[in-house]
Amino acid sequence: MTLKGGTSQACAACKYQRRKCTSECLLAPYFPPDQPKRFRNAHRLFGVRNISKILEELDPSQKADAMRSIISQADIRDRFPVHGCLGVIRHYDYQIRQLQEELQAVHAQLALYRQQEMSAMPPYDPSQLQLQLGMPRPVDGHALFNQEDSDPQQYNSVNALPIASHPSYNSFCGNVTADYIDSKDNNLVNSFWIQQSCSNGNNSNDQIQMMGSQTDQLIGSQSMQQDVIQDYEFFDVINDRQSFIDLKENHESSSESSLIDTTQTLENIAENELKNAAACLTLTSVN
Amino acid sequence: MASSSNTATYNTPCAACKFLRRKCVPDCIFAPYFPPEEPHKFANVHKIFGASNITKLLNDILPHQREDAVNSLAYEAEARVRDPVYGCVGAISFLQMQVERLQEELDAANADLIQYASSCNHRYPHQNMSSALPIQSTTTTQYTSQQAPRQIRPNNNAYYPTPSTFSFPWNDNNASGRGGAAGE
Repeated sequence: MTLKGGTSQACAACKYQRRKCTSECLLAPYFPPDQPKRFRNAHRLFGVRNISKILEELDPSQKADAMRSIISQADIRDRFPVHGCLGVIRHYDYQIRQLQEELQAVHAQLALYRQQEMSAMPPYDPSQLQLQLGMPRPVDGHALFNQEDSDPQQYNSVNALPIASHPSYNSFCGNVTADYIDSKDNNLVNSFWIQQSCSNGNNSNDQIQMMGSQTDQLIGSQSMQQDVIQDYEFFDVINDRQSFIDLKENHESSSESSLIDTTQTLENIAENELKNAAACLTLTSVN
Repeated sequence: MASSSNTATYNTPCAACKFLRRKCVPDCIFAPYFPPEEPHKFANVHKIFGASNITKLLNDILPHQREDAVNSLAYEAEARVRDPVYGCVGAISFLQMQVERLQEELDAANADLIQYASSCNHRYPHQNMSSALPIQSTTTTQYTSQQAPRQIRPNNNAYYPTPSTFSFPWNDNNASGRGGAAGE
């Protein structure tokens, strides 16, 4: 439908409603004529009147963002007629839980190996051992001692680990936010409704407000928790989740066995060093 | 008198019919999902979406899916009432950013683990440090790198694109086609 005497085309909203699209059309900026499906989705979910009512209550500066969110919500509902945005939220929530578990597992593994290295490697100084045995430090150096003496910092390896000072590690330890603590307690509803910092003018800048307590009364946090748990049955990822758990268990068991092996190996190394020292002493005394 | 008392106990109008001030018929489409004890549920849904739109939506999906659909619509309506600008899309954006942040942290932690494992292998070549390798998870690969809807975020310069890469495990498309009545 084109305007009489005009070259501009009617917007998708006016086209759909078969009415004249004037220059004052509120929906024209958001529903271009080449995207009729966008308006159809919005119209199916909200209706023109409801969209207008929503926009009337907002400041002019907020209308653009509001329309974008309405369009997005309608498109999601078009794609997922049953679960809509709630399904997307649950999907992301599940994803966050998975990532948290993986992150915790990786950090636990790093902490385990760091602790293992700290406890298994006492500081070793071959020169001290020779002094205890009453021997001067050889100038040309026995071949065996030269090797151990090449890196005196070798057994003080904790400080060399980049893990403890890595910003990601610190950020993870420092940012165990209430969001994820709540999610661990299955209080998911509290984390769902967030107001952006520049959203509707009610919040100050740089402030993210959690709408928690009132949401519990809506759908019911209990039902939400049960719905989330029930949704796990729908997700095919339950198989992936189980495989991840199995994989993690295998890694943990292998890490335990490697820890035992490491301890025994370190003990063997210390024993060999003592034997070498004794052998050197014997050879020196013979000479 | 007896008939009126029997009527009062036999057919309590649902929240939708109470709100709309109409007779709640036995096959009312709203009755199973809008109990009279939760009047705010229908009030929000009606305010944001409208009763006629809800009726059309429910008629377009299968009966066993309607409860989930109503619950999601009620959630979205409540979110829109609380936040008229962003509604539930604001929560989606927030969660999306959280996912990205966690993924970055996980990648960094895995990189540290690889670095640590390689350094330990250098010191103790005879020691089996294969367990130090990062856990290879297929879950996040499936849902983050390939299917995460990374486009939905507040952007002053563009509309919110649709999550075209979504592929939820549940079959949301069991609903009947548009304009067709569900298989009742």
